[in-house]
Amino acid sequence: MGEIVKVTANDGTTIEFDNESFASGGMKDAYWCKDKKEVVLFFRDKLDTNARDRLNNIVGLYRDRIFNQPGGEYWKNLFAWPTRLVEWEGRVGLVVPTYQKHFFFADGNYAGKEKNGKWFASAKLRNRHLRPEDKGTWLSHFHMLIKIARAVRRLHAAGLAHSDLSYNNVLLDPPGGNACIIDCDGLVVPGKYPPDVVGTPDFIAPEVLATRHLPLTDKNRKLPSRTTDQHALAVMVYMYLLYRHPLRGSKVHDIDDEKNDELLSMGEKALFIEHPTDKSNRVRPENLGKFELPQGDPGKLPYTICGPYLEELFNRAFIDGLHDPSKRPTADEWEQALVKTTDLMQPCRNPDCSAKWFVFDNTTKPKCPWCGTTYHGQLPILNFYYSRSHGQFVSEKYRLMVYDKQTLYMWHVNRFVVANEKTTPEDKKPVGDFHFHNGQWILINRRLPDMWDKTENRQIPIGGYVPLTEGRKILLSTKEGGRLIVVQLVNS
Amino acid sequence: MRKLPVYLLLDTSGSMFGEPIEAVNSGVQVLLSTLRSDPYALETAYLSVITFDNTARQVVPMTELSAFQAPNLTANGCTALGEALSFVAQRADAEVTKTTAEKKGDWKPLVFIMTDGAPTDDLQRGIDEFKKRKWGIVVACAAGAGASTDTLRKITECVVSLDQADSNTIKKYFKWVSASISTSSMKVDEGHGDVTGLSELPPPPPEINIVV
Repeated sequence: MGEIVKVTANDGTTIEFDNESFASGGMKDAYWCKDKKEVVLFFRDKLDTNARDRLNNIVGLYRDRIFNQPGGEYWKNLFAWPTRLVEWEGRVGLVVPTYQKHFFFADGNYAGKEKNGKWFASAKLRNRHLRPEDKGTWLSHFHMLIKIARAVRRLHAAGLAHSDLSYNNVLLDPPGGNACIIDCDGLVVPGKYPPDVVGTPDFIAPEVLATRHLPLTDKNRKLPSRTTDQHALAVMVYMYLLYRHPLRGSKVHDIDDEKNDELLSMGEKALFIEHPTDKSNRVRPENLGKFELPQGDPGKLPYTICGPYLEELFNRAFIDGLHDPSKRPTADEWEQALVKTTDLMQPCRNPDCSAKWFVFDNTTKPKCPWCGTTYHGQLPILNFYYSRSHGQFVSEKYRLMVYDKQTLYMWHVNRFVVANEKTTPEDKKPVGDFHFHNGQWILINRRLPDMWDKTENRQIPIGGYVPLTEGRKILLSTKEGGRLIVVQLVNS
Repeated sequence: MRKLPVYLLLDTSGSMFGEPIEAVNSGVQVLLSTLRSDPYALETAYLSVITFDNTARQVVPMTELSAFQAPNLTANGCTALGEALSFVAQRADAEVTKTTAEKKGDWKPLVFIMTDGAPTDDLQRGIDEFKKRKWGIVVACAAGAGASTDTLRKITECVVSLDQADSNTIKKYFKWVSASISTSSMKVDEGHGDVTGLSELPPPPPEINIVV
């Protein structure tokens, strides 16, 4: 404990902090504010005018664009965004909110340590070193990724690029399904503030690595941008769902020089380990350690277990768009696909299953890919249609898998309601729920004023229920954007 | 996954008896507990301890961090540093996986040598053997006034010295070694490649002098 120092921040407020640093990173030293609700991060090196200008905008203009807008409160949990600038002994510091408690290990071997994303992206660390209670479920990993994709989408919508999305800059809380983007001071604004790092390897886009040897002024040199964030995000989704790196296969590019081999396999010669036709970078499971299995082996757990929406995006990110940045999925597309995929998830029947959830594989014999447990019984699938013109319904290629005690929400009922930061508290309330009751599946209407069983042409009153039988058509709302459900039953 | 092999070459000659060897024992413990809470090190780093006194021996073979049992080192005899160098070269031949056209091998091993006296055997023979292999960073540490940094310079460009071989200084040294292994495992794990110079390691604390 040092002494408490008082300084005035850029907005005129007073900041009191302990002048003894408690941690140091690559470029900054961290100091506790007196109330421990904030920390001050002081840059060790002097900053040039451009860097100061950028920081001013980060705590000012850009922060306003995201946080001081309707719904801005929502983002406070998703970013540890610097709020003020201070100066002390000639050094510039950023005042940043303290990370929330759930981003630190509460107990166990790593008690008090930050939940760096690395812990949760590696099969070996998960299988060997993490306790089950720290790992969350597969569904909670989807929830974390939805938040990450949403936060990146928000940055991009504000005309910003993060430029260094990595394990170290995204804190995770798998049990709670939370994620928070930190280190927002390196933000890139196209045409205004160039990036000051190339990023963190494993997440650097191939074109950035492949052109790293060129001078900064060379027009072929590729630097971090929105499209490289899109690559990093795709890698993150893949790693936090499958616990292996999408480009780390067995192909050797340089026998003598490991460093060059790494550069080529992540850069110029990068190749998806699950590429459908070019099989030269396949993982050889025999080369993996026992704790890297089974997740390390795409033969056992291929990326297709993540369901059809994510499969399509992975194809675009790692096949079509790996060396063609314009083809990469946007953060918005990732968010949508992740949200829609959670509607395809089923709880695994095996209480000892490590993943607890799996994506319904669209077969008549649903099976959890993680533990191999098959589902026995009847499973309802609700196929969504929306009304294009009155009485005419069009398929949306969107479906909801039903499980016992599952809930129905407004974003299922009406296609104009989206599950995101703008969802109103009213729309967040469940509107119906599903049960397996007396040997049949039913949907109970809790809040929908105009729900119709179109097969029998009768209204389902609030508090009433409709059985889910093969082919039954249920209109959830007669309003514009209201959806029609067609029930499909899988018997296995 | 490529692993990152780390060799600790520790002097267990008679002059290390007492406080210094106890400090080394607890230093290895500190190193282990630090690295065991670092996800990057846990994922890639492997550790081996080779001691040298009248002869060189591998007290702990190349072992994954979580399975590593810290040895209890005792000190006596003279300082067979030359033998230790040829010995670590042989062990690396056996323990470090080489890259082939079919398989990605390991990263080049890191070597941390610590000695408090002058070698009593044929150092040059050891150096010749040692230099036939490819290494990642090799750091030689002269603990206290008895060790010659000039001699260590023949082994590697990265030489540091400790003014005192007391428990506090030795502990600081091991903390710095842990931080260096963490940094290296992060760099290699993230595909950045090997660390080759002291400038790529975290700056040492004031108790550790960089010999230039």
